[in-house]
Amino acid sequence: MPNNRFPKLQILSNETHTLQFLLYDTDVSVANTLRRMLIADVPTLSIDLVSVHENTTCLLDEYLSHRLGLMPIRYYDTTVEKFGDASKEFCEPKDCNCEDGCDKCWVTFSLGVQFSDKATDITCKTVSVTSDDLKTDHPNVSMASFLNEEEEEIMQEDGIALVKLAKGQHLYLEAKARLGCSKEHAKWCPVAVATYRFIPEVYLNDTALTQLTQKQREQLVECCPDQILKIDDVTGQIILEPDFEDRATFTEDLHYLQESMKKKPEDEDLITVKQSESKFVFTVESTGCMHAQEIVRSALRRMEEKLIMLKGECAGLSEGV
Amino acid sequence: MNAPERTAAFTLDEDNDERKITYAPSPQIPNAGTFTFNKEDHTMGNLIRHQLLRNPNVHFCGYMHPHPLIHRIDMKIQTRDGTTNPGDVLLEAIDDLTTECGKLQENFDGALELFQEEQDKGRNM
Repeated sequence: MPNNRFPKLQILSNETHTLQFLLYDTDVSVANTLRRMLIADVPTLSIDLVSVHENTTCLLDEYLSHRLGLMPIRYYDTTVEKFGDASKEFCEPKDCNCEDGCDKCWVTFSLGVQFSDKATDITCKTVSVTSDDLKTDHPNVSMASFLNEEEEEIMQEDGIALVKLAKGQHLYLEAKARLGCSKEHAKWCPVAVATYRFIPEVYLNDTALTQLTQKQREQLVECCPDQILKIDDVTGQIILEPDFEDRATFTEDLHYLQESMKKKPEDEDLITVKQSESKFVFTVESTGCMHAQEIVRSALRRMEEKLIMLKGECAGLSEGV
Repeated sequence: MNAPERTAAFTLDEDNDERKITYAPSPQIPNAGTFTFNKEDHTMGNLIRHQLLRNPNVHFCGYMHPHPLIHRIDMKIQTRDGTTNPGDVLLEAIDDLTTECGKLQENFDGALELFQEEQDKGRNM
């Protein structure tokens, strides 16, 4: 194994639905693969089959089905005590051994709402049908609604709104959710945000910078829109702001200004801001179907599974030749 | 009506006996050939290409994804000399990546634990 790398991770913040971590000692190709796996390869549950029994609402059956499909569904993984990877308990119907659907491949939700059931008083003109009205018998599966208690207090409705009912209207339907991944349809995507950004590497050419006039230094500090530089009060030299790593956006402004300050064009740069080639800050934000850390864990597991599968295929290939 | 199945983007066509990887050695260039990864995309293509290029025995490696609706990638590999062939270096690259991915999982769990410990410590102080 001559070309092995040993990537390291550091968690920067870990909340229920957002996770930030630093990935370092590896390559941009690994970071990008992880990002793509997070978006397209993590299996989740989503409503895929809807039978509408009665619908007198203002929305069409198809419209409702589409809205139902996009609602995040949580699976409570009892082994890690978090909302996690549903593929531990479920499998996709196409991979299931059963003939026409079983508990391992489909989860059934039922919804039955009448205006009169929900209307609180006579002045009430409309009532909302929300994700809370979808009920299932499965103990570990539920519709996701709020990210935290704070949000629950602010929101007026008690879940994700599906449709509003006016007086005399009702809606009865049965929805079946199944496991899938977002390569098939974006409704299975577990993340709202999955991005990485490069950590900046800044080199200050101290010998060249000391030769500038005080006014030039001030110009340099002011021209950077990210405000990553400041002037040291004691020495009057340019130094880096302590939190420059969070702010640098790699603009060209510094580059152009310092070109005009050089005595000769071939002189060394005064300040160089580069993107690090081995350090990445990931931000993962969940749609509500899983804990953010479980999404990353699941993506890494899928990545390994995929590589092991390719390894097996590749080994089989060289034997065949 | 004639739209392909959505699952066709990532499941192998078993009716036509589609294989995950096929190999065609180059008729003109020595120690070179094209690997076709069916139902794969940039996710794995770029990862494997980058890993192969870190191997000093690899003279050339490039991949292409012919069209967004054609779900395969073609990867051309040429090795430096006859001591290693494209199949060996590819296997080695994927093997290295698997190890790396295993390490990544371990380190992620470790980092989570460490972060949790620090949080608890901060709370108790």
